[in-house]
Amino acid sequence: MEKYLQQVGKKVDSAELFKVKSKTVPVNFEVNRLKSIDISESEGKALRVINQGRIGFSSFTGSEDFDLMVEKAVATSEFGVKASFDFPEKIEGGKKEKVIVYDEKVVDKSIEEMVKVGENIIERVKDFNPKLRCDVTILKDYSEVEYANSRGGSFSYNKTAIVYSMMVQQIEDQDMLMIYSSLESGEDKLNTEELVSEIMENIKWGEKIVPINNGKMPAIFTPKAALTLILPVIRGLNGRMVWEKISPLANQKNKKLWSQLLTLYNDGTIDFALGSAPFDDEGVEMKKYPLVEKGEIKNFYYDLQTAGMAGVESTGNGLRAGIQSEPAPTLNNLIMEEGTVSFSEMIEDIKEGIIIDQVLGLGQGNIISGAFSNNVQLGYKIENGKIIGRVKDVMIAGNAIEELKNIIALGDKSRWISGKYKFPHIYLKSLTVSTKGN
Amino acid sequence: MMREIFEKVLKNKKDKADYIEIRAEKKEFTTIHFQGEKLEKINCSQQIGGDVRALVKGGWGFISFNQFDNLEEKVSEAIEVARLIGKEESRLAVNSPVVEIIKQDLDKDFRQISLREKKELVGNYNNIIMNFSPQIQSSKVIYTDKFSTIYFANSEGSYIEQEKPFLSVSFTAIARKGDNVQIANESIGTTKGFEIIEKISPKAQRAASRAVNLLRAESVEGGEYTVILDQILGGVFIHEAFGHLSEADFLYEDERMSGLMKLGKKFGSPKLNVVDDGSIPNLLGSAKYDDEGIRTRKNYLIKDGILVGRLHSRETAAKMGEEPTGNARALNYRFKPIVRMTNTYIENGDTPFEDLLSGIKKGIYAKDCYGGMTTFEMFTFSAGEGYMIRDGKIAEPVKDVVLSGNLFTTLLNIEGVGNDLKMIESSGGCGKSGQGPLPVSFGSPHLRIKKVVVGGK
Ligand SMILES: [Zn+2]
Repeated sequence: MEKYLQQVGKKVDSAELFKVKSKTVPVNFEVNRLKSIDISESEGKALRVINQGRIGFSSFTGSEDFDLMVEKAVATSEFGVKASFDFPEKIEGGKKEKVIVYDEKVVDKSIEEMVKVGENIIERVKDFNPKLRCDVTILKDYSEVEYANSRGGSFSYNKTAIVYSMMVQQIEDQDMLMIYSSLESGEDKLNTEELVSEIMENIKWGEKIVPINNGKMPAIFTPKAALTLILPVIRGLNGRMVWEKISPLANQKNKKLWSQLLTLYNDGTIDFALGSAPFDDEGVEMKKYPLVEKGEIKNFYYDLQTAGMAGVESTGNGLRAGIQSEPAPTLNNLIMEEGTVSFSEMIEDIKEGIIIDQVLGLGQGNIISGAFSNNVQLGYKIENGKIIGRVKDVMIAGNAIEELKNIIALGDKSRWISGKYKFPHIYLKSLTVSTKGN
Repeated sequence: MMREIFEKVLKNKKDKADYIEIRAEKKEFTTIHFQGEKLEKINCSQQIGGDVRALVKGGWGFISFNQFDNLEEKVSEAIEVARLIGKEESRLAVNSPVVEIIKQDLDKDFRQISLREKKELVGNYNNIIMNFSPQIQSSKVIYTDKFSTIYFANSEGSYIEQEKPFLSVSFTAIARKGDNVQIANESIGTTKGFEIIEKISPKAQRAASRAVNLLRAESVEGGEYTVILDQILGGVFIHEAFGHLSEADFLYEDERMSGLMKLGKKFGSPKLNVVDDGSIPNLLGSAKYDDEGIRTRKNYLIKDGILVGRLHSRETAAKMGEEPTGNARALNYRFKPIVRMTNTYIENGDTPFEDLLSGIKKGIYAKDCYGGMTTFEMFTFSAGEGYMIRDGKIAEPVKDVVLSGNLFTTLLNIEGVGNDLKMIESSGGCGKSGQGPLPVSFGSPHLRIKKVVVGGK
């Protein structure tokens, strides 16, 4: 890589080369049967240059035609945005061992073993109820990341991921109950039982369909549904949105905005979390730092370019959405601090209310304003401190930025979602619920 | 060079599977993206990738990759995986091997045009929209060009090389008056050269003027109407609502639908003829061979109002005891070929446009498509532009024209087929099983349909 960079370094102010090699093996079961295993190997390079003060970019997969890649990156720099940063000269390698994101056991896991895991899950579901339709994916992923720039900065690391995900459907007449769940980790130690027992518990709760009234009522968001409330916060804290003044949170730093209970961290240093790595995709060390502390915004998150424009330091959040994309502000892992109340204590506390577990239309609409309006794909009704059944045709709506002021309690046990978010249950004082049933 | 590499590997591995195919794809592409007043993104990239698909006892193994160094190993991996899945007998429609190299000559090759020239052209179109009227609030103009070469070989001795150019420009205009925000789209897609997109200012203008005109349009009054669809909406309708139900992979997995799609059933008046044809030269869905190496051809789906055919891959053809139709297509080397449409259209009837209009006391002329949804036989489409028809004449513009209904009754309700078929080539494409947008074209003459439910606001 260094050789290439020396070569291109003569033509432009400075340059950086980012390279990823990865292999993904998904074992897919559909309708209780092994259906497909479509292996995907990929290898790509992305070249970013600063040429006469402007950014140019080009990406290649599979080819070794480096000259052409340089030519294209230089050509795009002519129309590129003004660079407000330079590539890091020195990338500290010393702390690299601090975060572990690679497990050899994942790489060595055989496809036969993965097939067995899937069959085992399906057997468990069939034992529970043979009429359920079960789709399962067991996936492993291994990648090698390499980075170097013409100013002498470089790093590399290897990373693994393993995912068990499942979806269970029960179809009866006009009613379809659909429950999904998944576990993700960088380490080969996922627990099938945890996944299956959660789904079975949900199926039991959902056996009976019960009516619910229109109006405001207490609500519990499970960790699986918490993003409904948190997505607007994630968008609003994005340094790019703040700099462009699109974010309604832009002028709210160090002001008390939300419930005392709400504390959110960006943390890229957690072993085996899927959003962890020693460095972000442009050589800045990943860190743990607070975004929101006791309801007050403490930090926004930045990549190098956006930080440069805003006149602050990068927070180590410069990630690429793929080899074809330039780095952009993206959270590492997002951790919400746990509360002290258990899920069952929350339920016991509610006379009439709703539990929201799966929603449709997540992230649709004008999220940046905080507004949300979702169909509750899976939700339960609470009456007199007990779950009495599943609700259907129910919508929830509100403004997340407002709702987060009214948190009564946070759960005492948080759960990883998609391997990079960790949320407890969120208990809100009241939420607008509407139903076409009445 | 690919040929020797592929053939050597296939020779060594042929006996280990019932069938093996190898594909490689080399492509370079450029995208230029303007939004509002600024150049949002400009990107030049190159990709080389490939895949291997192997069939063992009815189970498919698949692997895709960017490195060709250990091709033989990849083939072994695909076979290994296929073995885990295969539990029955392999069935593929018979095909005699083909060896052919197909080049695509472009009048004005977009690979030879400088990035600056492309950027300036696109920037000009963007200015046309932005400067059209003070009511234009924002714009989006996206330029894409892509030149791919696809190399294909299988264990039966076929070797095919095909070049596939693709060029598109799409225009979005956003007009605003107070809280009233209206959007209009226009686009063009082609497999031909740069000359096709050099003189499309009228399209940019049309996007802007349509968005501005929509600000003035009243919402349509909901109800049941006789509707005339233009060639775009007619084409979208036949592709989305009917075409997808003709795809055999979906049919043989769904008992209820395969009952509804029984060959020989009456689907419309004798004037109704529907075709899917991948062999028409140089349309977006065209290729001499599909991605399984089957020669494309003209396939009648509905002839004289009767359902007569469906679209197949080699596997679905064998499983349903029919002939392959050349409709197995893969979006790119990351995906397996599945049954897809190519160029789908309704054939010309004999009624001039004016005659379609005549006799309609109160109806709707629905043009262009702004989006839609289909679930099995039910469909909903939003027209991009709409007019009332009053006493056989096109009258005032209306907005929020949403057409919905049941495919089968709607086909039977087509009472007039125009004589002005136009094939539509847009920048979008077709999506299925995560593979999209796949270039396709569609078309129709003007259609007159009775009893269409139109939802207004
Ligand atoms: Zn389609």
